Amino acid sequence: MLTIIFLSGFLLSLFLMVVAKRITALVKTFALQSLFLSLYALYVAVLQRHAELLIISGLIFILKVIIIPRVILRIKRRINVEEDLGLTLNTQVSLIVALFLMYFSYLFISRIISFSSGEAMQAVAFTVSFTAVFIGLFLMIFRQKALSQVVGLLVMENGTFLAALAITGGMPFLVEIAIFFDVFIFVLIIEILVYRINRLFTHIDTTKLTTLKG
Amino acid sequence: MFILVILFIPFALSIISLFTPLEKVADGGLKLLLRQSVKDGGSLTGFIKKERLFGIINAFGYAIVLGISLLLTARILTPPYVIRQFGIFYIDALSAFFMLITAIIAFSASIYSIGYISNEIEEAKISFHNTKVYYCLFNLFCFSMLLAPMLNNLALVWIVIEMTTLISAFLVGFHNVKESIEAAWKYVIICSVGITFALLGIIFFYYTASKDAHVTSLHWLKMYEAARFFNPHTVKIALIFIFVGYGTKAGLAPMHSWLPDAHSQALSPVSGLLSGVLLKISLYAILRFVILAIPSLGYAFSAQLFILFGLCSLFVSAGFILVQKDLKRLLAYSSIEHIGLVSIAFGLGPVAGIYAGLLHIFNHAVTKAFMFFCAGDTVKAYRTNNMNLMQGMFKIAPFTAGALLLGVFALTGSPPFSIFISKILIILAAFGGKRYAIAAVMLLLLAVVFAGLLQHITKIVFGNKPQNMIKIKEPLSTKAAVLFLAIFIVWFGMKVPVWFSGLLSACGKIISG
Repeated sequence: MLTIIFLSGFLLSLFLMVVAKRITALVKTFALQSLFLSLYALYVAVLQRHAELLIISGLIFILKVIIIPRVILRIKRRINVEEDLGLTLNTQVSLIVALFLMYFSYLFISRIISFSSGEAMQAVAFTVSFTAVFIGLFLMIFRQKALSQVVGLLVMENGTFLAALAITGGMPFLVEIAIFFDVFIFVLIIEILVYRINRLFTHIDTTKLTTLKG
Repeated sequence: MFILVILFIPFALSIISLFTPLEKVADGGLKLLLRQSVKDGGSLTGFIKKERLFGIINAFGYAIVLGISLLLTARILTPPYVIRQFGIFYIDALSAFFMLITAIIAFSASIYSIGYISNEIEEAKISFHNTKVYYCLFNLFCFSMLLAPMLNNLALVWIVIEMTTLISAFLVGFHNVKESIEAAWKYVIICSVGITFALLGIIFFYYTASKDAHVTSLHWLKMYEAARFFNPHTVKIALIFIFVGYGTKAGLAPMHSWLPDAHSQALSPVSGLLSGVLLKISLYAILRFVILAIPSLGYAFSAQLFILFGLCSLFVSAGFILVQKDLKRLLAYSSIEHIGLVSIAFGLGPVAGIYAGLLHIFNHAVTKAFMFFCAGDTVKAYRTNNMNLMQGMFKIAPFTAGALLLGVFALTGSPPFSIFISKILIILAAFGGKRYAIAAVMLLLLAVVFAGLLQHITKIVFGNKPQNMIKIKEPLSTKAAVLFLAIFIVWFGMKVPVWFSGLLSACGKIISG
């Protein structure tokens, strides 16, 4: 039962991101989503008596619920980013697209696992994780501010993490730790680049990064 | 032992470069330089600039790396054909092949860097402090690319490949001007998206391994032994993600959009590394998963994906090469073309196609690095990337102009250069497999690319030089790097050495099982 709650919370946060119009809202929803992911990991850890997953859950909480949202909001404050996300698709259309993406993920997954068998929960988790990956990509393409692209990528990362958790026993411990390290470095580098973009261009609107063509 | 030395040298060099007191020279300026020269007995050697000295040490380090990787390759070719060490290294012929390419290109790039960097400093494009950063990143970049093919864990390979992106992002955005930061941003974002897809692919491989084959590790050998129990449906979906994911990093169209930007904005030694090695390392990762997919799914599905992406890349690159204005972007699109060719070759299947594809990987790496080094000096001479403003290169820098001209013939696959052989082998593989349509499309597009490249480069090389330009002297290091690569271009054009052919066949055996 708890699984359903965490997964639907995760899914709900995805749709909230799709309709978000302000960067702060987007980042806070991301923190909420990571909280659900962390709780899900905790639940799986307790259920399967998997001590390593406890650490993973803790890491998700520290890194994705606390540190990364703070870093992004700090960037936002420091360089006075406009709150507006610059929607190239309005929220209604975005929501419809997001629903289609979810259905698409469902079709994808039903080719691998059947939803009627004992693995139904796993199938649902995979579907949600695919939805997250596609919606993350969608956010990156249709919300063209540098910071929203970063959040989009982090959503994709959350999606892959959910898929890894849904596999019985999780991925090997070393791998998950290394992926965390990787996300951490990624955010650091992005922070440096955003500051540089801001200094050189005096804005961080990626629609205007168009010097290089052809 | 050998493995450790290979990995230790770049890593140590990157650390050393951070702590070499280059800055003192900058602060104390000429005074310190003079004092140094007095200390050296007033001889001229004191005037060797410190950044140049460090460049020489760097190149020397890579000479050792190259020598040892040759030794390692020799060991791979004798029984037991694999090296396993410390529980994380696993080297077979395929790894050795990619390691050898990395070592060769890294060595030539480190030579080329010597002159290139001191020139950048003279023109005040980068500061002394940045030289340290450059050498640190350069070495870390090479380190990660040498490490990737040696690891036995597919997830670790994934992580190291992602690290290559993050490290080289700064090398792409090194000049800190609008264009290069834009390129670096696109590079990091697009490649990270790609690599996330690849991770999803890995997770699905792991899913089927743990569920259907009861293997709970991403260890290469364990996965390989269990590969025939994998669920073909899951493997299919996982493979699509792997191809899209690593294909982004390999520069396959339509996920190539970061490539021309990054290649054109990076410093020229780094462009050579990006095009020559980085793209190939991603292909290596794809190959590993294709090998895992064969026992359950067969080769046909992978072959279709290879051909699809390959043809796409050929179409895209042919179009953009014709209308290109920027010299380094021109070469970048040519990289997409060659990656497409390699991909098609792999798609033509064992044995002929894979052999030709691997040979082409090597030839392209060498030739493209050669071209990027020449282009780097050309761009330096004219102070622009715009080919419309370049003319009469022969009257300004005869050596570079000659090399550029030879290079373009080599790159487009004219005899007697090395790419000619691999291209012919790919086309023969297409005919041999009765894939006439593919062969026809390939030949047509190659002809277009040939015409486009030749027209652009001849316009640069011949003609009258612009009025205000004077003749320049190329740095010795450029000549050395270019000549070093030219040896391979000519040597492999005449005959593929027996040992190398053996290495390729061994790789082919690993791939086709």
